[in-house]
Amino acid sequence: MADEDKQSPFKESYIFPWFRAMDMWLDLIKATPAGADTDLGAQKASPNRFTGQMDTNINLLRSLSRMIREPESASAMANSFIALPEIFLKMANSGFEAALQIQNHLIEKAGKIGKSTQAYKFDNLDQEVFEALNNVYEKELRQYFKIPPLGPARFYQERFNEMLDKYNLFENMLAEFLSVLYLPMEKSFRVFQEKLEQLAEEGNFPRETKESYAIWIKILEGHYINLFKSSEYTDVLHRMLGQLEDFIAIRNKTMEDFLQLFPIVTDQDVDDLYKEFHLLKKRVKELEKQLGISPNTLTAVK
Amino acid sequence: MNSSKIPLDLILERMAEDAEKAQQRVSKASEILQGQLSFELGQTPYEIVYEEDRVRVKHYSRNENAEDKPKVPLLVVYALINRETMLDLQPDRSVVKTFLEGGIDLYMVDWGYPKRKDRFLTIDDHVNGYMNNIVDFIRKKHNIPQINLMGICMGGTFCVMYSALHPEKIKNLITTVTPSSFNTDRGLLHIWMKDLDVDRMVRTFGNIPGDLMNLGFLLLNPARLMIDKYVGFMENMDKKEFVENFVRMERWIFDSPDVPGETFRQFVEDCYKNNLLIQSKMFLNGQRVDLKKLTMPLLNFYGEYDHLVPPTACNQLSKAVGSRDVEDVNLETGHIGIYVSSKFQKLFAPKIVQWLKDRDKQDVAASKTHSARPAARKKSSKTEKKVRAGKNNQAGTAQAI
Repeated sequence: MADEDKQSPFKESYIFPWFRAMDMWLDLIKATPAGADTDLGAQKASPNRFTGQMDTNINLLRSLSRMIREPESASAMANSFIALPEIFLKMANSGFEAALQIQNHLIEKAGKIGKSTQAYKFDNLDQEVFEALNNVYEKELRQYFKIPPLGPARFYQERFNEMLDKYNLFENMLAEFLSVLYLPMEKSFRVFQEKLEQLAEEGNFPRETKESYAIWIKILEGHYINLFKSSEYTDVLHRMLGQLEDFIAIRNKTMEDFLQLFPIVTDQDVDDLYKEFHLLKKRVKELEKQLGISPNTLTAVK
Repeated sequence: MNSSKIPLDLILERMAEDAEKAQQRVSKASEILQGQLSFELGQTPYEIVYEEDRVRVKHYSRNENAEDKPKVPLLVVYALINRETMLDLQPDRSVVKTFLEGGIDLYMVDWGYPKRKDRFLTIDDHVNGYMNNIVDFIRKKHNIPQINLMGICMGGTFCVMYSALHPEKIKNLITTVTPSSFNTDRGLLHIWMKDLDVDRMVRTFGNIPGDLMNLGFLLLNPARLMIDKYVGFMENMDKKEFVENFVRMERWIFDSPDVPGETFRQFVEDCYKNNLLIQSKMFLNGQRVDLKKLTMPLLNFYGEYDHLVPPTACNQLSKAVGSRDVEDVNLETGHIGIYVSSKFQKLFAPKIVQWLKDRDKQDVAASKTHSARPAARKKSSKTEKKVRAGKNNQAGTAQAI
């Protein structure tokens, strides 16, 4: 045991001076006259709450110190200190492994994106990409917003997380929508090039930029009309609108949570009131009609 | 020596010329844009004669010296989308001005800007509420049993509903680019609205924001409305008149009030999705809108190239109504071109003035006949006319709208 103590890098002397210093401070605190800051006799008689708590804490530390000074405990502490770097290394290692795992997963997904784009036709290219990106978000990131919050503020936290989630989904959807909107541009340039090639072959290559522009804009318009009539576009448009509406709805709810802290009425309160007003006004107008009172507020003012 | 298939020298020469012209144009445009421009809308004087909530009625002073002035006043009902100022865009393109010069006593509904408190207003509130009150106000003011009614786009649909529910108050009905049959795949709106989750939309937005609808309308033809229109502006920005007209049009297009949520919901559900109106199956406040009760003379205008309300959405009305005096007029232009293109200024509003005058004369003749012998039912017909007019640059822009 004595040998172990000698080999141990953990020495009692490292920590004991701290306890001694603490004893000294405790003595000093104890020496401070209780209730010096108050004239109330009743309080003078009672012990200082702070020193009382300190006393308890120091006593606890003293007893811990005593226990640590026992040879068995000292040996265990020494061993734990030796193991500390190894523990840190293990923790770091598992962290790195987790990070690498996610990264590998993402790379794998990205690889799949590449594969899927090659395997499909040009028209579906962008949609496949966005579908894959959506999958990455759904499987890898979205779960973090779904971690159930705890405590009394959990509802608010949940709503806030949902808002972030809906915002991300809307952003993804918007990107998809914009990419679909851009498709006719891309296609029109290609058709335009082919058209120019054909005109050049025929010896009718447009001499003025205005002519070329007129050809291109007509091609573009045609592509847009075709796109807008397609069910794919209608589907993307409605999905985008849906995501936007979901985001706005949850954003408004989050805002209402926040506004509850202030003496401000919320949209919901106002809407309830407006509905009552609306129904009331209808009844009043009906009654006015029966009494032959004109609804023209202009004549009422006059 | 064979000439080159791509005359690069010529192209480069033209490009250099274009660049020089563009520089001159920009320099002149800078002077114009920084100078005094007149782009005010709705400059014809009017008086507000009726006000109820956000709704107002404008009354215009007609030319009292006009020949054969129609005796019955005309109430124009605009759509809830955009503003009625389109009918009085500028002095040389003003439907209002043509009406007044023709001697029409003109009233026009200004729906105003719906606020959040208006979100619960239904189509019934607009048709049987505001419109009915306004019609009663005009009837009382002029001490007449009936007035003439003219509707534009969605306002026309409201007029159709109103005339079917209150035929005793309407003498002649004019519908312009008015959707009445919604089961068509010719217009993109008709395609997109079919699957729209309107409940979710109304729940989210309350009133449907004008800006959102503007974006939707721009997306109907982005090549023309988001690119070509502004390219056209760049090419003509050194012409003061063009710039003024362009800015005026821009101001009108993007002056978009929100649409009351419940009205939008009912319009999409009952009209776009279920096509109830043309089948006389639509109900307003428990009353069925029976188009067979629409027995007054009907003049129905629509645009051949209207991509918002295609001809097939408009021309079914004449077959569905109970009236025997029906005329369809198919103009070869777009949704807004009917009202604002310079060419159609000579065809559209003057036609309405004449049609109303003719109906006035028929009444006089009928009353004379009636006083001479028992009433003989007027023989009438359902006709369709197709009217052409040349295109111009501004009309092209308008057509695309």
